[in-house]
Amino acid sequence: MQAVVPMDHRYLAENDGSEFASGRGSGREKLPNPDEREHDRNPIPYMNMVYAPIERRLDMAVWRSLFASSARQARQFVIHGNVKVNGQKMPYPGYLLNPGDMFQVDMDRVMFATGAPKQIHQVRAGRTKAKKALAQQQRKEAEDKAQSGAQELASSGWQDVELVRAQRKEDFGNLLTQVEDSFNDRRNRPGAKRKIELRALRKDILGAMRKVNQKTAKTLDDELNNLLARMSITSAAQKAQAKAETEELEAQPKEPTKEQVQALREVMAREAENPIDNSKPYATPWTPRPYMSAFAFIPRYLEVNHNICSAVYLRHPVARPRLAEVPSPFPTEIHQLAFNWYLRRR
Amino acid sequence: MTPPLRCHSVICSLSYTGQFFRTAQSRSFSITSQRDQRVTRARRALFRWLQTNGVNFLQPLEGSTNYLSAYNAQGQLRRVVEREEEAKKAKTGEKGQKSVERDPNARDKIPHERPADLRVFPQNPTFLSQPVLSEEFREVIWKRIMEEGESVRDVSAALKVEMGRVGAVVRLKEIEKEWQRILMFNIKGKPLARPYAQAVMSMLPKTAYDADPRKLKTHESINDLPVHAATGPQIFYPTSESRHFTRVDAAKVFDDTLLPADDRVPHPELSLMHKDFRAGKSRQEINEKQRERDEKAAKDKARIAARRAKKLAAVKKVQSPRWEFRFTDVNVDDIGKDGRGAKGVGWRYGVPLMDRSRAQVKIPTRVE
Repeated sequence: MQAVVPMDHRYLAENDGSEFASGRGSGREKLPNPDEREHDRNPIPYMNMVYAPIERRLDMAVWRSLFASSARQARQFVIHGNVKVNGQKMPYPGYLLNPGDMFQVDMDRVMFATGAPKQIHQVRAGRTKAKKALAQQQRKEAEDKAQSGAQELASSGWQDVELVRAQRKEDFGNLLTQVEDSFNDRRNRPGAKRKIELRALRKDILGAMRKVNQKTAKTLDDELNNLLARMSITSAAQKAQAKAETEELEAQPKEPTKEQVQALREVMAREAENPIDNSKPYATPWTPRPYMSAFAFIPRYLEVNHNICSAVYLRHPVARPRLAEVPSPFPTEIHQLAFNWYLRRR
Repeated sequence: MTPPLRCHSVICSLSYTGQFFRTAQSRSFSITSQRDQRVTRARRALFRWLQTNGVNFLQPLEGSTNYLSAYNAQGQLRRVVEREEEAKKAKTGEKGQKSVERDPNARDKIPHERPADLRVFPQNPTFLSQPVLSEEFREVIWKRIMEEGESVRDVSAALKVEMGRVGAVVRLKEIEKEWQRILMFNIKGKPLARPYAQAVMSMLPKTAYDADPRKLKTHESINDLPVHAATGPQIFYPTSESRHFTRVDAAKVFDDTLLPADDRVPHPELSLMHKDFRAGKSRQEINEKQRERDEKAAKDKARIAARRAKKLAAVKKVQSPRWEFRFTDVNVDDIGKDGRGAKGVGWRYGVPLMDRSRAQVKIPTRVE
């Protein structure tokens, strides 16, 4: 059972240890005052370290880093090959981490494990989206096959325009699905005004899609940018509007102030980071799982970077005066019994 | 006004419990048998609790941690209740004290956590949710190491962060920056998990960075002395009364090879510098001495690295299309008389292999 005692470098410099050898060999005598005995006030909870070897396992470390919502889920992630140790796939949940080992978990899995679960309508929307995407891909493959012969003959300029057109067509399609998603969003239902805006946007997108083949690459680009800007403005405006309605109904300045523009930009940036995407296995936009905050902690033997879903196992867990680094819901007495049964009795 | 206490004494409507059933079907990880999942009194009590005090834990508390021990039996935040009481006392009793009402905005905020509020498991007081480094702090560490070129030892001593942690922070930050660089040039790069990271960081206690070294909070103790197994048994060691018995002597009594505590702590240079400071040496002299020590350490490190490189270079390598063969000299006698020596090479005829016997570790023990 590993333990450490924090040392003060000033104390080490000022004393050479002979103060403990003075008197009768255990330090100069003091009056027996039970409140002043240092070792009684700050005991090292050795018994709480009974399960410290388990914390060294890869699956437990993944769970403790908050990359999974339970130890068993962490184990599944490891077995399914979603965890890398020092850049190599490690499918053994029982792998004992060495100090300095870095482990990475697949980001989508982490978002799924810690994100709120999907509602049933989101699951259905995701399924239709996946079906559409599959059909589109198949159609595209068939087209590619048919065109491959023709394309070889065609001049490079013609090819470029065609490519751009195909790309833009796909982009318009994506935008259309986004519009439809926010139209059918049950969490924050669009208001009447926004519904009108969304319908107008959908109409324009459909119009643009129909005339893709008659336009040049540049006009197509402009059109797409225009529509994208409209989409982001309407979605940001919806949130801003909902907020404004709840907070202050009467105060409505006509011109957007600098702060409002800034806030709008921030909202847009946040939405770009956390978009609505029903094809994901978790509810989007991502929000933490219910009851996550009550058990969110990172023990000191791990250094975690959540941005990249990676962590470093710094050292083995240790006990120090009054603190043990092994997370456990049980008090010292129960750990004492476990120690007696599992370790002393051997 | 104080923030509303997040306790719903009225039982929620069915729409809340319905949430459990409306969520998509997912695989259950429970190994509890169906028989044990039947409705019991404890189970009913759990769901009743989830609808009353448990509502506090459904969503994270904004700008604070949200652990079980932070609430009293009525489901109110202890620190909010205590502040209320203090304010009441100050109002009714001594009017001379103005300290409570200094900042009007502070009344709307939740007070800062005390150590008891960071107890994740109410029954286990030895485990606390200890603070993690804030994003800004990690950025500063990365900057000081990678841009200003300071040594890990210096940064660790200045910012009060363990040396291992400093190294790990830099290592992880480098990967993060690399991802960002890829993302900038290639749209198909992996985006960072920003919403997840922000949510998690908002739930954890954090050590904030402060440019003023006097205001900088100690993140962790950097000079931890590991308790050595040899110091476990209590030893009765008679010696002459006149002898000046120091830590060095005590270490030798425990074990001949055990070093004194001064040399076993991660930052031995701090106490050496303090000794010089106590001896009345000037700052320049102290720094000069420290520089010499650093140089000596760097030389030792280089010597060890050179030795290792030489050893590696002595291995004869033959490249084939598929493998790199490496030839080293071995001594057949290393295997020992029983044919099981750890240093021995190859398999001896007649000696059974151990790999099918009990308690043999067959998964990798390290990844390079």
